[in-house]
Amino acid sequence: MKPHVKKLDRQCDHTDAPSILKDIFNRAIFKDIIKGLSVTLKYNVSPVITLNYPDKEKWIPTARYRGVHTLNRDEEGRELCVACELCVKACPTGCITVVPEEDDTGRGIADRVAKIWTVNLVRCMFCGYCEDACPTTAVRLGRDYELACRDMSCAVLNRDQLLQKPEIPEDFEGGTRVSARMKKMRGGIKVIPDINKKRDNWW
Amino acid sequence: MTELTNILPSMATVLQVIMIAVKCVIIAGIVMNLPIILVWLERKVAGHIQQRPGPMRIGPHGLLQSVADGIKLIFKEDIIPSKADKIVFIIAPVIALIPAMTVFVTIPFGDSIMIPYINQEVTLYIADFNVAILFILAVGGISVYGFMLGGWASNSKYALLGSIRAAAQMISYEVAFSFAAIGVVMMTNSLSLVDIVHAQDGWFTNWNILYLPVGPVWFCIFFVAALAELNRIPFDMSEDEGSLAAGYQVEYSGMKFSLFALAEYSAMVSISVLCVIFFFGGWNAPIPGIPIVPPVLWLIGKTFVFIYFFMVIRFTLPRYRYDQLMTIGWKVLIPLSLVMILITGLMRILL
Repeated sequence: MKPHVKKLDRQCDHTDAPSILKDIFNRAIFKDIIKGLSVTLKYNVSPVITLNYPDKEKWIPTARYRGVHTLNRDEEGRELCVACELCVKACPTGCITVVPEEDDTGRGIADRVAKIWTVNLVRCMFCGYCEDACPTTAVRLGRDYELACRDMSCAVLNRDQLLQKPEIPEDFEGGTRVSARMKKMRGGIKVIPDINKKRDNWW
Repeated sequence: MTELTNILPSMATVLQVIMIAVKCVIIAGIVMNLPIILVWLERKVAGHIQQRPGPMRIGPHGLLQSVADGIKLIFKEDIIPSKADKIVFIIAPVIALIPAMTVFVTIPFGDSIMIPYINQEVTLYIADFNVAILFILAVGGISVYGFMLGGWASNSKYALLGSIRAAAQMISYEVAFSFAAIGVVMMTNSLSLVDIVHAQDGWFTNWNILYLPVGPVWFCIFFVAALAELNRIPFDMSEDEGSLAAGYQVEYSGMKFSLFALAEYSAMVSISVLCVIFFFGGWNAPIPGIPIVPPVLWLIGKTFVFIYFFMVIRFTLPRYRYDQLMTIGWKVLIPLSLVMILITGLMRILL
């Protein structure tokens, strides 16, 4: 048993005198420890890579990210949704409810618009099939991912909430960390990004 | 009337007593509150070494984090294990803390200064012992009783193993630590810390670390032994969380636990100050022509460098194995320090 232990202790199989002397010399000048200390000191002055979320920074996903749904309008402000209910049929979890109605006041691009358009985010699994099924690109999965709230009030989003303009514009590239500020509200915490102030992206 | 004036102490004596009391209060206040900053600093250093920010939420850059932790610890339930030795369990953290604090009695933070309004010269140390080094070694050695008794009284195997390790480690490294102190005494011809600093007056070439060729070797012996005395990584065998959970403090909670932490951090500060006083010229500036910076700030700055160094070491090196620890103590440091005593003695006689 003893020789085995000794060999483990030495941690080297060279036994000729010069290399042993070299080994002793390296230990005497603390070579390995200084090497390790130089690594940690270098990291100590290197920039912090933590995403300072939710305090000061926020991650903006790329455009293909599948977050909370948005209902979109065309350039003239008309609703794109024609209440064809294809998204309802495509939805694997059955979380979308659409009730159509007739409206020729120019609210939508057609005479048929959605009277009720709700999505149950508790059931939704963000697969994006509704987006694929939509013939008019009215429903899109957006980039909002802050879904937590204190009660079930935010679990079901209705048409008016979904029709609001997303806080990150569609043409913003994303995939970056930007400055943000945390806003404490009665319903919970919201982090509002400032997309003009990009932070350096280490990855 | 004359008899009364003979009995009553003179004005100067009263002033001196007041001075000493004020100095005691100031130093105790600083030393008791320093761990709050040091815990924060250690977490910050740890964070930045691992490229994360460390505590950030409470106060500016998390400065009040350790205050919040302290409040939490005060309000925590103070659990005493049912079969523990109650009295010993309660006094063990105090026994660990008192020696760590007592060491500061001897430490000189600077030479004397004049206080402007009362025209009184005040020395920036509580007492100038002529045997200060012996006092520090003796009192510092007591603090291991706190760890031993704490581990013993806990009635827990982990705690007992931790305290046994602490005791063995203390016995092994106290020798090398004392020898390093003897080396300093031989280099400076005095046991008083004030005289040791005065022996290193002038340019930085007078510092003991540059007493070639023995100075750097003495410093290495002192520093490694001090790391072991402090129970810090890489020698923190007694609270090895990998194999012993938390060693001697595994059963402690609440304020008693924080007293152990307080003892550890005060010991770290005192060892850092001792490193500075023994080897880096105490309150002396490296070049005597820098009059703007007061001497106390030099001492504090150098001490801070050492505290920071202790912290960086903690997050750099892995823990030594127990037999390696003993090997370093008995087979390397003690023979080396004996040889160094011989060389230093010859240098003092012949040069």
